[in-house]
Amino acid sequence: MSYSTTDQAKHVSVFRTLPVHLAIFAGLILLWEFVNLYGFEDRIQADMIAPRPTHIGLAMIDIFFIDKTVWHHLGSTFQKALLGASIGTVIGMGLAISATLSETFRKYIKPWIILMEATPRIAVGPIFVALLGFGLWSAVALAALVAFFGPFVNTFQGLMEIDEESEEMFRSLGASKFQTFWKLRFASALQLISAGWKLATASAFGGALVSEFIQASEGMGVLIAQYVIMITMDYAFAALLSVTIFGYILFKIMEYMDYHLIFWQNDLLMLKVSEKRRKKMGVSS
Amino acid sequence: MTATAKKAENQSQFGQTVIEGSNVTKVFGETVTALEGADFNIRSGEFISLVGPSGCGKSTLLRLVAGLIEKTSGDLFVNNETVTKPRTDIGMMFQKAVLLDWRTAIENVLLPTEVKRRVKQEDKQKALASLELVGLKGFEFHFPRQLSGGMQQRVALARLIQTGADIMLMDEPFGALDEFTRERLNVELMRIVGELKATTLFVTHNIQEAIFLADRVMVMTPRPGRIAQIIDVDFERPRDISIQTSREFNVIVEQVRDTLGGH
Repeated sequence: MSYSTTDQAKHVSVFRTLPVHLAIFAGLILLWEFVNLYGFEDRIQADMIAPRPTHIGLAMIDIFFIDKTVWHHLGSTFQKALLGASIGTVIGMGLAISATLSETFRKYIKPWIILMEATPRIAVGPIFVALLGFGLWSAVALAALVAFFGPFVNTFQGLMEIDEESEEMFRSLGASKFQTFWKLRFASALQLISAGWKLATASAFGGALVSEFIQASEGMGVLIAQYVIMITMDYAFAALLSVTIFGYILFKIMEYMDYHLIFWQNDLLMLKVSEKRRKKMGVSS
Repeated sequence: MTATAKKAENQSQFGQTVIEGSNVTKVFGETVTALEGADFNIRSGEFISLVGPSGCGKSTLLRLVAGLIEKTSGDLFVNNETVTKPRTDIGMMFQKAVLLDWRTAIENVLLPTEVKRRVKQEDKQKALASLELVGLKGFEFHFPRQLSGGMQQRVALARLIQTGADIMLMDEPFGALDEFTRERLNVELMRIVGELKATTLFVTHNIQEAIFLADRVMVMTPRPGRIAQIIDVDFERPRDISIQTSREFNVIVEQVRDTLGGH
């Protein structure tokens, strides 16, 4: 059994390009620092428009380890985003599954989906705040609204892509509609569905932040807005950067899950899973 | 047709009739006659090849017997029952292996059992045996993507064996494989169906393959799809691949060609 070299190649190229990436990054940071120091006549103006990276770094240390304000707000935004993503995913996938199973449902839901797609969903934010109040749930509602679309479209597309011959094979085995759905259609669609989950998480984050900008008492959106109002731009940038970092970590976790879920796309993983299945069935190699 | 029927009676090594069609016709939509007035009589343990160009209705005939599509008119019986839907005594193999990528070979083979009921220990033993029979010992826990095209079709054959069906319908199962793999698989297929004493309907557009495998070859012609001729192939079994160069073999090839060429 030979496995493809793409995985190894990927690692090699990362090691080769990493120093270049770091150099570009360091250069930009340095440039920024100099622009702040020598590019403005007025110090206050300089710190407002382009706060020094070193100050942003210090602000990061402050909000994470000294003042520790950021944790509470990060937790709040994550809670809203993840709740919203989950609810949006359940609704989106539920609608998609119903739409693939019933042609009638598909027909009647179509204009509503087009309507939803045409509406800038973020704009519904203030209405949700009016309906559900300032608390957690208006934010979750907005996050869910912006999140549901990815899982909906991806699940629908994945389930509608039918391989005729596989369907015929299942039919020849006398499989029920239910069995064909789960064992064939759903499993085949998993790759697209999982991509939909990633989309949902990313957009739910945006939704949660926007709703915090509109009105909220806690969350990263609130924190960023507060720092901007107080004209402490280094802290505002630090807060923004924390969202980026934690968003990236979450995205990586989801990618890792996806990678293991769709294991049959990867030669190395297949070997591992193959060994596991052998043990599970109790057959020695 | 009466002459053929008489001949079939003479073939005493086969059991009673398992598949019987009379005047079977299939019209798609309102105008496309895929199969017209097909009469045939297939006995237990027989290997029948359906050969003909595309559009001659051979796949349609197979799907009618499988119960995957419904006939427009005529009578079609399997084990003396009118075919209305897929049956448990019929198993199928397709041009593509149609394996599930996320299942190991043995898990793919167990699918027919899983569809029917809970998988038991003896089903797993049977699946292991089926895989060994098709020459895949040692590959039980490979995923389809780790297997070659020929090996994937072997898994599909093991899956068909696992159904326990004694009627096997094959729709150009080796059509997408290279010549060498196809030839080897044909020899093995003959050995396997012989061991299982299964009744086989084998669709192909390859004349040599059709004759080599079959007890009888049904030659089909298109527009509309018809059974033009049924030819007996009397070579003793087990057959060696070398019979393909014999004079008798090529006489039959010519006979098939003549029938097909007239249309």
